[in-house]
Amino acid sequence: MEKMKPGTKIGLLAAAIAALTAWYWVHLTREVALPEDRTLFVIVFLSCVVLGVAAFIKRTSWFGAVPPVFAIAVGLFFPATMMISEQVVARDSAIEVGDTIPRFISVDDSGTEFDSRSLNGHLVLIKFFRAHW
Amino acid sequence: MEELRPEFDKRGVKVITVSVDLPEVIADRRYLHGLQATMLSDQALVVTDAFGLRNQGVHSAPPSESAKALPVPATLLVDRDGTVLWRDLSENYQRRSDPSVVLAAMEAHFDTLP
Repeated sequence: MEKMKPGTKIGLLAAAIAALTAWYWVHLTREVALPEDRTLFVIVFLSCVVLGVAAFIKRTSWFGAVPPVFAIAVGLFFPATMMISEQVVARDSAIEVGDTIPRFISVDDSGTEFDSRSLNGHLVLIKFFRAHW
Repeated sequence: MEELRPEFDKRGVKVITVSVDLPEVIADRRYLHGLQATMLSDQALVVTDAFGLRNQGVHSAPPSESAKALPVPATLLVDRDGTVLWRDLSENYQRRSDPSVVLAAMEAHFDTLP
């Protein structure tokens, strides 16, 4: 078998790092454990892009082009999702410090009705989140 | 958030979570979010809208999800009279209030109450 071109090796490395990092990201997302500070993730993903590009500069074989393309795509995709996921609330209607919380009736995970009146006289932490994913 | 459980208990804080998940989904994944919290299912966004926290931005739910809209991730601290003392809104859905931030807010707002 022909010796592997240097670019192909770099491409494989980039793809492996990209795949592992993406897997770890998805894993943390499922566990609702993604850290507040994603700088390290961004650095690693962008490094995969750089390695992917380096692989092409060093030349890859035809098949060897697949891993660096994957690495570049993954390395750009995840930082991009961070950019577009901005959340916007209607400023005039969003509850603010100093407001009294509205009365509400909802249902909990056991199907039991919940009335916000039961919170009267208690210190309360209310946490809104998107959904389990 | 459950790592703050002793801090909640010490202050007698009731913890309520609101998401658009179905009750059975919440029950399934309760271990992730907090075993002792009251976890509300707000499929119709009734609670979310009452608080004005419906996300007006890009809605990027997977197609399998039935919810038509989503709340903006937010954490509120409320006193015994129902007044909001602290609010933390996330600008990125993947971000959630860090437990250390929530603890600092409880110390600043709950521990100074008369």
